[in-house]
Amino acid sequence: MIMKRFASIAFAGMLAAGFLAQADTAAAKEKAIDNYNLYCVQCHGTKGTGRGINAPALSVQPRNHASAKDMESLTDASVAKAIKEGGIAVAKSTQMPPFGGILSDEEIADMVKHLRVMCKCEGKK
Amino acid sequence: MTRILALAVSVLMAAAPAAMAADGKALVESNKCGSCHQMAGPAVKTIAEVLKRKAPDLFYAGSKFNKDWLVKYIQSPTTLRPGGVVYLNSLTTEGEADVVKNPPKCASKLSAGDAAAVADYLMTLKDASMKVGVFKKMKKVKKARARVVMMKDEACNACHQFPKKGGGISCPTFEGIGERLNPDWMYSFIQDPQHWDPKVWMAKRDFDDATLQLMVNYLMTAD
Repeated sequence: MIMKRFASIAFAGMLAAGFLAQADTAAAKEKAIDNYNLYCVQCHGTKGTGRGINAPALSVQPRNHASAKDMESLTDASVAKAIKEGGIAVAKSTQMPPFGGILSDEEIADMVKHLRVMCKCEGKK
Repeated sequence: MTRILALAVSVLMAAAPAAMAADGKALVESNKCGSCHQMAGPAVKTIAEVLKRKAPDLFYAGSKFNKDWLVKYIQSPTTLRPGGVVYLNSLTTEGEADVVKNPPKCASKLSAGDAAAVADYLMTLKDASMKVGVFKKMKKVKKARARVVMMKDEACNACHQFPKKGGGISCPTFEGIGERLNPDWMYSFIQDPQHWDPKVWMAKRDFDDATLQLMVNYLMTAD
C-alpha cells in the first residue's frame, strides 16, 4: 500500500517536472515595446522615424513608423507579413529581415498594434 | 629506475594541460572576468536579462573562438562591436537620429603568459551539442556570389560591417572574423542564432547547407 502511494507520488512528481521542463524551453512572450526596442530600433530608431544606428549603411531608408502618412497606406496584414517574412515578402527591401523565426504570431499581432500607436493612425482597409 | 622515471614524466605530461587550465580558471576568477561576462550557461532568455549584459557570453568560448586569436585579444582588446555589446545600452539621440556613444570596452590587459593560460581555459568551455567538422573549406570561394547573397539577398551588411565595404553597427564587425571565429561555430550561429543567444537581434533564416558553406567560406577569407 505504502509502495503504491509512493509510486503514485513519484509519478505525479515526474509529470510536474516534465511540465516545468517544457515551460522552461518555451520562449516567454515579450511586450511589443520591448520587442520593438530590441529588434526594430537598430534600423528604425528609438523614435521610430527610420533614423536608427544602422540607417546610414542602408541603401533604402527604413520606414518612418511615427509618420501617419507613411503608415496609413499599409494594411495591418501587410505590416504583419513584412515583420514575419521580411521586406521581400511585400515587395520591399531585403534589408528588412524576416522575424517569423523569432517572434510568435501573437507577438507580431501585438507589434502591429504598437506600430499603430506610434503612427497614431489606422491601417488601410 | 628508468622505467619509474619514464612513468613519472608521462604522468606529469598528462597532468600539465589540466594544471594550465586550472591556472587559466584562477586568472579568470582573480581578474573578475565574470563581473562582465557570463561564464556559465544557460544563456539568458528574456529581453530584460539581455539588457543587463555587459559583455559577450563566454561559457561556450571554446566552441566559438580560435585560440590564437583569443591569446592576442586578451592581451590587447579591440572594438569588435561598434554599437556596443547590447547596442540599445549605448544609444543616444541627436536630433532625430540615434548615435552610439562610448560603448564599453574590455579592460583585459594580461601578459602573454597569462593570456595563453586564460585562452587554454576558455577553450575548455564548449557547447557539446555543436556539430564539429561541419565547415567544408572550398578550394575556390565564389566571392562575387557570396557578396550577392550577403549584401543583397540577405543584407547582412545592414547590421554588420564588411571589411573595406562598411555596413551597420548594431552587430559585430566582420573585420578579421576568419581569424577570430571557429568556422563550425559560424555555421551553427548563422543557421540558428537563437540556439546560442535566445534574444539576439539577428533574424533566423532557413539556409541550406550550400548557402551556409558559401557564407562561412567567404567570411573566412574576407579581407
